Amino acid sequence: MYYTGIKKEDWHRSLEELLTSHDIFVPVKDEFSLDYEPFRLSQAENIAYNTPKPATPLKNFFLPVRENVTSARDNGRPRIIIGAPNCDVEALGLLDEIYLDEAFTDPFYRNRRKSTILVSSDCFSVNDHCHCTSYGVKPFTMEGADLALLSEGDYIFLRVISDKGDELVRQLPAAAGIKDPERLLFGDQRHRETEALLAELNRGLPDYKATGEIIRRAGEHIWVKYSSKCVSCGACTTICPTCSCFLLIDKPDFEKVKQMDACQYPGFERVAGGEDALFELAHRFRNRYMCKYVWRPQKFNSLACTGCGRCIEACIGKINKNELFMELT
Amino acid sequence: MAGDTINIYKPLRATLEEVIEESPLIKTFVLIPDEEFVFKTGQFIELAVDGVGEAPFTPSSSPLVTDRLEVTVMKTGYVTGIMHELKPGAVMGIRGPYGRGYPVSEFKGKEVLILGGGCGLAPIRSLLFALEHMKDDLEKVILCYGSKTPADCIYKPLFSRLNSIDKFEAYRTVDVTDGDWDGPVGVATALLDQIKVKIENSVAVVCGPPIMMKFGTIRLLEMGYRDEQIYLSMEKNMSCGLGKCGHCMMGEFFVCKDGPVFTYREIKHNPEIWK
Repeated sequence: MYYTGIKKEDWHRSLEELLTSHDIFVPVKDEFSLDYEPFRLSQAENIAYNTPKPATPLKNFFLPVRENVTSARDNGRPRIIIGAPNCDVEALGLLDEIYLDEAFTDPFYRNRRKSTILVSSDCFSVNDHCHCTSYGVKPFTMEGADLALLSEGDYIFLRVISDKGDELVRQLPAAAGIKDPERLLFGDQRHRETEALLAELNRGLPDYKATGEIIRRAGEHIWVKYSSKCVSCGACTTICPTCSCFLLIDKPDFEKVKQMDACQYPGFERVAGGEDALFELAHRFRNRYMCKYVWRPQKFNSLACTGCGRCIEACIGKINKNELFMELT
Repeated sequence: MAGDTINIYKPLRATLEEVIEESPLIKTFVLIPDEEFVFKTGQFIELAVDGVGEAPFTPSSSPLVTDRLEVTVMKTGYVTGIMHELKPGAVMGIRGPYGRGYPVSEFKGKEVLILGGGCGLAPIRSLLFALEHMKDDLEKVILCYGSKTPADCIYKPLFSRLNSIDKFEAYRTVDVTDGDWDGPVGVATALLDQIKVKIENSVAVVCGPPIMMKFGTIRLLEMGYRDEQIYLSMEKNMSCGLGKCGHCMMGEFFVCKDGPVFTYREIKHNPEIWK
């Protein structure tokens, strides 16, 4: 791992040149939201670096909502995705466990992973429901991405994490090594500030090591209470960076369409004979928590929640999972 | 790399050679796959009706036969309803084989007790073929099977054939008699009272409807079977078969990949298993 620096205008000019061979996405802030947009030099001033999560979870770049998985139509064009926060980068690790599983590797996911250069962005501020540190996730990326970006004034610093990241840096003629290590101290300072903000914001949330036991012990009344405002819309799972369940739909000529699905929808576990372990709304609601805090940790040794807080923001019933945890702590 | 070209979602085509009516609601489909199809007994496949849908089934034929495949299907829902309308010559899709089958090599030197109910006899028949092939290495094979009515029993000739094989015993019961039946009446687990088995040197295999799996397991435990001696074939909504889509999750397990055959010991900590 090493650092390099480049003037912001040179960085943007290099990205413009890379557009001839790459698709490039950057986080752009407008009046209403912050989300990924295709990079355009003319819009460079609206790129929001080092802000908390874009609206779209990173998973959508690798797991499209709907795709035909029998006819390969991937154009194979390399991509550079800039601005993913570490909560999303960590989540990608869980998706890798499932989709890059050696026994059955998903060829579409694997190709997208291979052809993507991931430039993560350290968080220098927080949103209302950000709580990554409560789940042991740092608000900055040291592994899992190819590069991590820190913006300071008219300068961009890049933490070079992987060989792929190193290759990209070599294509930035204006990038130069950091001669004075003190120039990077602002990064450490920003990390400390962000972590302090998160600690303050999430005071009282249980330690992530305890979440599994809390959820396992939670009585039926908790699930009935918190699901009473749930309408099974699936927003929480759609927006979750780790939720990755899908449905296979048969099309003529034995083609198959893979469409994202969710355990929050009725009928998710229904079998042909009619039995449905998740028939009750409260049981579907509980299933999501059991999956994230009990079962995935048992199977993959990692919580399936990275504390991005999107499920809290997306819920039209204003169900706040952190309130549920607080009640049980 | 060869692995780069494999598409895990793409089915193999198979031509329907024959449709055998087993009972009013159950048919066996004899399929000729376009390529040799190798599976271990207890593994399952996704069988597709073109453009309609697919569903998981454990082949009922011998794992030693690789150029044809038999799949026994109960008419239960939308896809199986359309399957039942298919005629010989139809082309179907097969994905798989998936999951973990019966560890038959671990059954060597043992008495194998098989408790089956309803359509659960389909995977059991495949297991019986495999056990027959290795019968010199087995002490005994006992099948206890129950169907709702005598007419609902599938593979009726199987029972007399099994009873003619050295070391094999087969018992049948029905929940309700239709008048043309002089055998035992009652649930399949009741048959366990009449068999002789050396439990300490035995394994038990249970395959059938969830309610039978539950009470069958309870009865086997009462008889003295240990958790690790009981093999259960779990039934969930196995949709992708690849340990990805999430529909068949049973606690931390993807039943399609980690199962469908589990020992009771592996899954008993999970209260969701009988749901």
